[in-house]
Amino acid sequence: MRLRLWSYFLRQALMNIMNNRLVHVIGLGTMFVAILIFGTFLFLLINLNTWVQGWGHSLSMSVYLEDGISEGKRDMIASWIKSLPTAEIDRFITKEGALKELRRVLGAQAGLLEGLSTNPLPASLEVVFEKGEGLRLDPDRIKKELEKMEGVEEVQYSEDWLKRFKGLMSLIRVGGLIIGGLLCMGILFIVTNTIKLTIYSRKEEIEILKLVGATDWFVKTPFLLEGAIQGILSGILALLILYSGYYLLSTEKIHFTSLGVFDFIFLPYEYALLIFLASVALGLVGSLIAVGRFFDI
Amino acid sequence: MNLLAAKKTYSPGSGLPNALSKGSTLRNGLWTNDNLWAKVIQLFHLFKNFGPNVALRDIDLRVLKGEFVFVTGPSGAGKTTLLRLIFGAERPTSGQILINAINLNRISRSSLDLLRRKVGFVFQDFKLLPKKTVFENVALALEVTGERGSFIRKKTHQSLRLVNLAEKEQAYPLSLSGGEQQRVAIARAIVKDPLILLADEPTGNLDPDLTRDIITLFRNIHMKGTTIVVATHSRERFEDSGQRTIVLKRGKIVVEK
Repeated sequence: MRLRLWSYFLRQALMNIMNNRLVHVIGLGTMFVAILIFGTFLFLLINLNTWVQGWGHSLSMSVYLEDGISEGKRDMIASWIKSLPTAEIDRFITKEGALKELRRVLGAQAGLLEGLSTNPLPASLEVVFEKGEGLRLDPDRIKKELEKMEGVEEVQYSEDWLKRFKGLMSLIRVGGLIIGGLLCMGILFIVTNTIKLTIYSRKEEIEILKLVGATDWFVKTPFLLEGAIQGILSGILALLILYSGYYLLSTEKIHFTSLGVFDFIFLPYEYALLIFLASVALGLVGSLIAVGRFFDI
Repeated sequence: MNLLAAKKTYSPGSGLPNALSKGSTLRNGLWTNDNLWAKVIQLFHLFKNFGPNVALRDIDLRVLKGEFVFVTGPSGAGKTTLLRLIFGAERPTSGQILINAINLNRISRSSLDLLRRKVGFVFQDFKLLPKKTVFENVALALEVTGERGSFIRKKTHQSLRLVNLAEKEQAYPLSLSGGEQQRVAIARAIVKDPLILLADEPTGNLDPDLTRDIITLFRNIHMKGTTIVVATHSRERFEDSGQRTIVLKRGKIVVEK
């Protein structure tokens, strides 16, 4: 199509927006909020995912030893652990050490331990595995192997709760898809009705255009551009606000006890582009639905 | 004969009537037939019903290229319906309409859009856009064709000069008199050099002086070779024109002279 026609279409689309300012501001505002909600959800999901992956990067394991284990057996267990790839014994906690640690954690309530006639806590080996690139550790298998060994009472590792957390993440992801779908439908509804209102306001002009020989596409294109412009503006605005939110969060380090510092990351480039393109596409599809049934002249 | 055109005769929905396939060619997206150009409008056994009301019954009519035809009759005789059918704004209940050898019953929507660029229509209620200037209203008929800006400006100025409105091109329709608005509508209909000009009651609301001006204007356009069909309930206003007249009564041609 000729460049002159496109400049005509763009002028018409901008004129339509100017002539129906209020309708467009309301439509744009609603669409922007919907995209912002979706973007925020995606932002949180991606950050949660990154944190979980970060935590899962190092695996720690507590190997509890039977009471009265001989030094030889303990050395055998330790040397078996050391033979595992990337495994390192972080520290050996004696029975006394464990009780001391428990006293420290209980603080003011440490008096509760005074009535104990014997120390019920086992000695343990704290093992740390660094998960290198391309190296897949099977903590379940290691746990079973260790538990079979003489002198080992019980084995616990950090991924137990991570597994449960990942299950929760899947649930959030499904919830996100449902919310995203509903938001998309909402956006389509908003755009369709905004464009319908501008079509109504130009009904007379459309009729005359058709009577002087305008093709359907000649009449439709400015409305499609209108929807696309609405999508472009909503997408840009939502991403800007989202980035501002990220900027504020990233300057304030957020601490969670025992989980350390949360470092936020902004949406990866392709996700930001996806939000923008989806916003434009929704604007276009919404206006396409609106113009669909208006040209039987 | 254009072989491509001959092949297209057999494709359904091409807009080309089979009976007219011989010698038909595709020009600018429209099927035309040079052999039949002498008859630019052909109506065969045309009927049009609106629910139980019969607006037109068994209309048979041929209009030759360059003819000036009046369609007269009392209000409700079917004049406007006849023009709207010729323009493709209505579909007949039965019968055939051939415009420049194109069968309107079989024409696609896009071909009808292209055909309308070759048929000018002056509406009884002018159909001008109040928020656009006189110049913009007239230029609109060329904007839709995607012509160059310089060409549109040149043709619009020419057209407005022809209807003596060159000095009012920046005015808005509502600031003009009825006669001036009528002339803007005529300028818009002729700016695209139509093969056929249809006018529905073009002098309906005008006083005798303005009516004379409009009649003179139509004669000037006719002199350029445009086929003109004017629907009017008061034939006497055009009495001295000596042109062909078709009288409609209750949807039927009762007199043709």
